[in-house]
Amino acid sequence: MDATPNPDPASSTLRWVLLSVSATLLALLLMSGVLATSILDRMHAQQQAVTHALAARTQMLSGLLLSVQNYNQAVGQFVAQEKADRDEAARQRLDRLTVEIASDLKHYPNDRDPIETAFLDGMEGLFAQQRTLYISVLEAKPDERRRQAQGLISDRTSPLQKQMLGWSEKLRAWNGERLQQADDALTTDFGRLQGGLSRVLTIGFGSGLILVLGSMAYIVRLERQTRGRYVLLARSQHELQQLSSRLVDAQETERRNISRELHDEIGQSLGALLVDIGRLTNALGGDRPEVKAQLDNMKSVAERTVQEVRNIALLLRPSMLDDLGLVAALEWQGREVSRRSEMEVAVESENVPDDLPDEYRICIYRLVQEALNNAVRHSGSRTAKVTVGQSAKGIAVRVSDGGRGFDSRRARGLGILGMEERVKRLGGTFTVESEPGGGAAIVAELPLPPTNGNHS
Amino acid sequence: MNKIGVLLADDHNLIRAGLRLVVESQPDLTVVGEAENGREAVTMAQALKPDVVVMDIGMPSLNGIEATRQIRDAVPGAQIVMLSMHSDEGYVLRALKAGAKAYLLKDSAEADLARAIRAAAAGKSFFSPAVGKVLLEDYMRKLQRSGLEDSYELLTPREREILQLVAEGNSSKEIADLLNLSVYTVETHRARVMQKLNLRGVPELILYAVRKGIVS
Repeated sequence: MDATPNPDPASSTLRWVLLSVSATLLALLLMSGVLATSILDRMHAQQQAVTHALAARTQMLSGLLLSVQNYNQAVGQFVAQEKADRDEAARQRLDRLTVEIASDLKHYPNDRDPIETAFLDGMEGLFAQQRTLYISVLEAKPDERRRQAQGLISDRTSPLQKQMLGWSEKLRAWNGERLQQADDALTTDFGRLQGGLSRVLTIGFGSGLILVLGSMAYIVRLERQTRGRYVLLARSQHELQQLSSRLVDAQETERRNISRELHDEIGQSLGALLVDIGRLTNALGGDRPEVKAQLDNMKSVAERTVQEVRNIALLLRPSMLDDLGLVAALEWQGREVSRRSEMEVAVESENVPDDLPDEYRICIYRLVQEALNNAVRHSGSRTAKVTVGQSAKGIAVRVSDGGRGFDSRRARGLGILGMEERVKRLGGTFTVESEPGGGAAIVAELPLPPTNGNHS
Repeated sequence: MNKIGVLLADDHNLIRAGLRLVVESQPDLTVVGEAENGREAVTMAQALKPDVVVMDIGMPSLNGIEATRQIRDAVPGAQIVMLSMHSDEGYVLRALKAGAKAYLLKDSAEADLARAIRAAAAGKSFFSPAVGKVLLEDYMRKLQRSGLEDSYELLTPREREILQLVAEGNSSKEIADLLNLSVYTVETHRARVMQKLNLRGVPELILYAVRKGIVS
């Protein structure tokens, strides 16, 4: 498999697109939110100002009308009265009301528009006319006054009064109209806001949709890639396992071939040589000591070589496995280790089938060999025990020592991995039981071969 | 006097040729046949009825141990001289259990073969000296390391005598005649030896004797 640094450039582009779209979307939403809030705030302030202004005008207008009415009433009373001694008080009252009306007019809100001003000026003018009329009436004598008054009020002041009331009504109507206008403006503003917001929402929804679709496409693609990679990984793992299993097989076959070659060819030739040397020694040695010495020398060299070849052959493929079976081979292995090292190995076996297939025998044999070698090298133990027997699952093999042990969760050398590999190949389970200071044991359980047929 | 008829069974021509030369050089021995594998050895033994079969352990088709068992069953008169490269007790014990009388290392075959064949033909045991040495070493090492006592010390002189005679291939009757004892007494001694040494069967007893250098 080739490991490219950037497995899929298209997916990385898509990733960037998705990222920028989501960022834009977020910015859009944020902006429109801020905008909407500020517009709403402004509209709220506007509405409040309009309401406020209208309330002030209405209040002023009603105050003005009240004052005018009072004035008119006061004039009426004044005209109607007969006693002259009260004149002064009534005049003062009229003056006060006049001032009040003038101040009312002056207090009308300053932000008036031209039309409003025209109305107010008109009203002021009307009041001035009325007042001029009254003043002339007020100057007169009480009895003359009464006479004049009737005509005056009916002919002159009443129309003026009506006109004034009409004007004030008009002003009120005008104010109402203005309110309506402000309301309309507000509605328009609101409509614009609504339009803007819905546009923003449409854009947001659209880009959100794109985002979702893009993300989904991205996820689907990732999923597919992951699945593809998983399948690839599983396949390569399987292949690796097969390869390693084949490797073990090939190793065993090769070992067996070399061993047989060594034993059959070199071993036998050397053996024959030894026999010949022996016969030569018998034939010639008696008469000629120097020949005998040379022959003896040749013999010892040949014997050493035979021993060497035999040891190598045995290491490659223990012939006991073929000659005597698994149990004998394990016992031999135990004695060999005992001879070579300071560790005494005890081998116990029970109910081990004689007709185990070769791969089972070689698996168990190599397992024990490796475990004993490990024990000799690392445990420092003076004893080790090998147990082989039948268990519920099949054949159980256990190699234990009383040595210094190790942390079985951490220390896993190639040797242990190799043992595990061999056991797994045959569908068995492999466990290492050890903790520092508590000795070590490897336990393997192999399921029995499906049929005990014609295995040699 | 009749010559001892020998059947040679080894899968290697060179070895067989060497063995034949050794056997034929002895006036009282003669080669009656050669077999290339265990199966052939069994067939030829049945047909030729040799006095002794010189049998290699590692042979194709049927190995020497299995062939020995079958020949001992089919031709009780034929004694077996086992030929092996291994001095390990696993081989020796299994050869004995299969019914071999003599056990020779290939290294020393040429020197000891004639003696081994003669001993086997007479129903006696014979072992290459090197075999006893290896077995004894293993035994002593085991004793030393496990701190056990050598059980041989537990035997009485009479028991040791009987141990040796049994290991050499003598029957209880022969021993009784030799020592001037009743067969019953010999059997009792024999049982006590087996019990003291924790041995099961004659092959283990012979192995023990070889290991101790009592027989060779």
